[in-house]
Amino acid sequence: MFFKRQIPLFIVMFIGLLTFFGHFINQKDIQNFVNNDSTQWFDIIASFAIFLGALNMMKLQILKIIKKQKNWQYSILAVGGFLFAIFAGFFFRGSNYIVLYDIPAQNQSQVATILSEQLQVNTSIIENKIYSSNNGFEIDKVFITKAAAENFLKPTQGLINKYEIKSHPWGPHVNQDGSLFSWMYKKIFTPLSATMFALLAFFVASASYRAFRIRNFEATLLLVAGIILMLGRVPIGELIPWWFVIILYMFGIGALIAPWVKDRKSVFGIVFSGIVIFIVLGQTFGWSENAPAFLQVPAIQAWIFDYPTAAGSRALMIGVALGIIGTTFRIIMGIERSFLGE
Amino acid sequence: MKIKVFKYGILFFISIALYYLGIDTLFIKDSMVMFSISMLVSFTLYYYIDKAKSGDEIYIRPIAGLQAIEEAVGRSTEMGKSVLFVPGISDINEVETLSGLILLGNVAEMTAQYETSLNVPVSKAIVMEAGRETCKESYLKAGRPDLYYDDMVHYISDDQFAYTAGINGIMLREKPAACFYQGKFYAESLILAETGNSIGAIQVAGTGSVSQIPFFVTACDYTLIGEEFFTASAYLSKKPDLLGSIKGQDIVKLIIMTAMIITVVSHGLFQMEWINCDIMTLFRSN
Repeated sequence: MFFKRQIPLFIVMFIGLLTFFGHFINQKDIQNFVNNDSTQWFDIIASFAIFLGALNMMKLQILKIIKKQKNWQYSILAVGGFLFAIFAGFFFRGSNYIVLYDIPAQNQSQVATILSEQLQVNTSIIENKIYSSNNGFEIDKVFITKAAAENFLKPTQGLINKYEIKSHPWGPHVNQDGSLFSWMYKKIFTPLSATMFALLAFFVASASYRAFRIRNFEATLLLVAGIILMLGRVPIGELIPWWFVIILYMFGIGALIAPWVKDRKSVFGIVFSGIVIFIVLGQTFGWSENAPAFLQVPAIQAWIFDYPTAAGSRALMIGVALGIIGTTFRIIMGIERSFLGE
Repeated sequence: MKIKVFKYGILFFISIALYYLGIDTLFIKDSMVMFSISMLVSFTLYYYIDKAKSGDEIYIRPIAGLQAIEEAVGRSTEMGKSVLFVPGISDINEVETLSGLILLGNVAEMTAQYETSLNVPVSKAIVMEAGRETCKESYLKAGRPDLYYDDMVHYISDDQFAYTAGINGIMLREKPAACFYQGKFYAESLILAETGNSIGAIQVAGTGSVSQIPFFVTACDYTLIGEEFFTASAYLSKKPDLLGSIKGQDIVKLIIMTAMIITVVSHGLFQMEWINCDIMTLFRSN
């Protein structure tokens, strides 16, 4: 129990207090520890811990295949993907490039033409590069296999005296555009991630529909604010005339007073006369040329965004910050020990 | 109680005096205000913890999201389905992840009592280890260590959307009756919550990520907003020292509100040139 409870608790309290006081103590070593070393320690521990995660994932998926549990076929894909990524990262570089040496002067422009056609770039660019290269001309293309590189050079056979197919070093090979790892990342992983992210657009639509359904006063307020924000942030928002905004205002006022004024005719009368009065006022004061800000949709959306929204989110932020301070305090002082399993 | 206020007041002033005396030799001059505020907050929290320990009753308003946790686990038990707990996509260095793990402990205790299966997919290996330890202890505490197995907390992927896809897959295949999203979330929050909604699960979310709260409010049945999320441990355990710190937090909030009003009024008077002292200089540091 001592090693499971007291020692971890002591480490948490000691490091927590050191980090806290590190912001106030005028000592470079402590500040360096707080700002750099401690975060690097965490990174190192997290890097090693990834093995635990990866092994756990593999274990579960392999067990699923062996036991032929429900939907075990998907696990084949997971294990296959995992092994392929390891193969491309650690065992097969798949990142070859060609360096051309000793191109006879009379062949240089012909080689440049062939290469420019294959690389889809301007001939003069290749030509210039060949002329200016003293230690060999490196072709700006990465090949997964050496055979692919050889095939690429076939049209230039007899025009070049010497060439070499080299490989990028281990490590940087994963970042080379065109390598096997890069191909896997860009052609499989990135589109799949983008697909998941793109789902968000559809989910936003369905969530908005649910949130905007008029059920009560708050939902109505959300709907109105949402519509104003959407309209105010697109070009059409600027084209909405002031009188239309007045009509919307009066409809809103009508909706608000309707529960209190039982007589429908009176509500209609208030809304209609309000619209007429404001339009007459607008015409008198020349709002067609210069409408006040409260009648411009972009200005209204800016106001909603800058004041009520900012106030609400700041209130939340203060609450969250206080919660974080409180939790941190409880952890550092050893009051909160649930995370240790207590 | 007055003696305690006096005691903590004296300690507060001693700490400030020590800092003042150590300026330029041991302490940084520009951080004096920050240190004073930190000490004020710390002593206030500790004072209320002390007060709660000595028997003072602390009231915490009912929080629907926390009350719903047992209801959600109970529903899963009745339906014979599993409970899904997602502790967010951040590592253990985030306080929100820690708060999520604290809540995991409570949920795990309930699933152990109700004999319901629990599924905790994680995105960070360290969180996986911490989560396993938490669940193990909870099952032990509930008197059902036989129901615990390591793989109930399992790793999916460090990548945000690979993790999201993995959880969505679990949701659609296993159709859990209750989904808990407790931790730090980013863009995946709505994808998870909407998928949970589509399978008809009862959903309880809690996060400190301000930008994700609206998504959770829209798609989940209950959402722990702001500091509610961080009070979960105190609320569920009812331990006096934890409850005391929550009361302390509220008092700190009151102090902050008072300070904000004083700052606004004082700075306004300074701008109107009615007073010469600008309170804002106190908050500026190099």
